[in-house]
Amino acid sequence: MAAQDRAKLMTGAKLLAALLPVTCGLLGVILSNLPVTLFGGLVPPPLLGFIPVYFWCLVRPDLMTPAAAFGIGILQDVMSGGPPGIWTLSFVVAYAVIQRQRDAFAGLAGGAAVLGFATATAIVCATAYFTTTAYFWHLAPLGPIVAELAITVLFYIPGAFVIGSLHRRLVGPLRSDF
Amino acid sequence: MPNNSWKIARRSNAQLPLVIVLALAVVLVLLGKAQSGLFDRARMRITDWMAPTLESVHAPVQAFNRWISSADELFVVYQENLQLKDENARLKQWRNVAVVMQDRVRHYQDMLHAVPDPDINSVLARVIGRASRPFLQTMILDAGESRAVKPGEAVVDSRGMIGRIYLSGDHTSWVILLTDLNSRIPVTIASADGKTATLQAIMTGDNTAMPLLDTLQQVVTLHAGDQVVSSGDGGLLPPGLAIGTVVGDGDTARVALLADPASSEDVEVLGFRKPAEILPATTPSQLPAVAAGLPPAAAPASVPIPAPATAAPGAATPATPLPTAPKPAAPPLGANLSAQAARPAAGGAQ
Repeated sequence: MAAQDRAKLMTGAKLLAALLPVTCGLLGVILSNLPVTLFGGLVPPPLLGFIPVYFWCLVRPDLMTPAAAFGIGILQDVMSGGPPGIWTLSFVVAYAVIQRQRDAFAGLAGGAAVLGFATATAIVCATAYFTTTAYFWHLAPLGPIVAELAITVLFYIPGAFVIGSLHRRLVGPLRSDF
Repeated sequence: MPNNSWKIARRSNAQLPLVIVLALAVVLVLLGKAQSGLFDRARMRITDWMAPTLESVHAPVQAFNRWISSADELFVVYQENLQLKDENARLKQWRNVAVVMQDRVRHYQDMLHAVPDPDINSVLARVIGRASRPFLQTMILDAGESRAVKPGEAVVDSRGMIGRIYLSGDHTSWVILLTDLNSRIPVTIASADGKTATLQAIMTGDNTAMPLLDTLQQVVTLHAGDQVVSSGDGGLLPPGLAIGTVVGDGDTARVALLADPASSEDVEVLGFRKPAEILPATTPSQLPAVAAGLPPAAAPASVPIPAPATAAPGAATPATPLPTAPKPAAPPLGANLSAQAARPAAGGAQ
C-alpha cells in the first residue's frame, strides 16, 4: 500500500516537473505582458516567455516540445495585443534554429552563453519584424524591436539563474530516470 | 554506435511535429490576418478577467512613476514655475479672445440657421494599464460596453486627443494610441497665422513620439506651429478635436501631440454619432418631371411601367425625362433640394 502511495506521489512529482518548463514559459509571458510600464513606457517589456523556451530547448528538449513553444507563443500573441500569430511564428522559428544548432548553443558558457541567447532572441525579433512588415505591408521602425532585443538579453542573466536553480532543484532530480 | 543511433532516431522523430507546428504557426498568421476577431475576443476576455488585478497593481506602479518623474522635476521647478506664470498670463488673454469669438460664432450660426454641431456623449474612464510594445502602443481603460463604449470612438484627455478605442469588452477597453503603427487619423491643418487656407491630411503613427503627416495634395507648404485638429472625415471622429502642432523634420512634417498618454490618468471616451441627414419633404410640384412641365406620374402601384420599346409618346417615367420633350430639361434633383434648403435660410436672414 505504502509502495503504491509512493509510486503515485512520484508520478505526481514527475508530472509537475514535466509541466514546470511550460508553466515557467506561460508565467514569463504573463509577467512581461502585464499592462504596467515602469519608466513611462521608455523601456519595452522583455520577452520573458522566450527564456524558458531557449533554456529547456537546449537542456531538456523532451520537456520543451515544439508544441509547448507554440502554446507559449500563442499566449504571447493574445496578451501582447499585436497582430495574431506573429510571436507564435517567431518562437517556433527560433525553436527550430536552436534545435538544429543545439550542440553549438549548448556548448557555450559564461559570456558566450549570453551571446548565444542574444543570437536566438535576434532570430525571434527578426522574424517578428519581417512578419509584421509583411502583415502591414510597410516597414516598422527598427528602434523598438532592437530595444526589445537588448532588454530581453539583459533579463536573460537573472532569468537563466532562476530557471537554472529550478531545473537543478526540481526538474533534474524528479526526471532523472528519463 | 548505440548513442549515435539514438540521437538520429530522436532527431528524426522530433522533426515531424516541428514541421507541423511551423506550418500551424504560418496558418495562424494568415488566419489572424483574415479573422482577427477570434483573437480580439480572447484578449478582451482576459483583460476583463484581469481588470481588478490591474487596478490594484496600477496604483503603486503609478506612484513609483510619479516619484521618478518628480525627482527629475525638482531640479527645474523654479524655472518651470516662472515659465508657467508667464504662460498663464498669456492664456488668460487668449481665453478672453476665445470667449468673444465663441459668442460671435454663435450669433452668426443663429443668423444663418446653421446646422448645429451634433451632441457628443462622453464617458469618463480611468487608465488601468499601458503597454508600449515593439508593434503596439496601447492603454487599457476601465470602461467597456457596459458603459456604452464602442470601438472607433475617440479618447481625449484635458489637453487633446490620445487615440481611439479599438477593442471593447464588458468592463474594459483597449485604446490604440495616435503614435501607434496602425493609427491613421484624417486631420485638418490650420495655419497658425490664419492667413492661408486649411489643408486636409492623414496623420500616421509610426511608433515614434511624433506621428507623420501625409498631405493629400502634392505640393503644400506647412509651417512649424500650424494647428492640427481632427477633420471628422468619414464620420467616425468628431471634427475639431485638438491633436497637436506641426513640427518640421527634414523633408517630412510631423505632429507634436498635445496629449501625453504616458501621464494621462483620467480620459474621456467621446461617443460621436453623426446624425442622419433629414431631407426636407418634397411636394409633387417640386419633382423634376412636373417642374419641366410634364404631367405628374401616377402612383407606381396602379400604373404598370411600360417597356422602353413600347412606351407611348408623352408618358412620363418617374426617373428620366423624355429626350423628345420640347421643354427645357429639368434641373437635377440635388439642385432643387439645394434651392429648397436655401430658401428658408435666406428668409431667416432677412
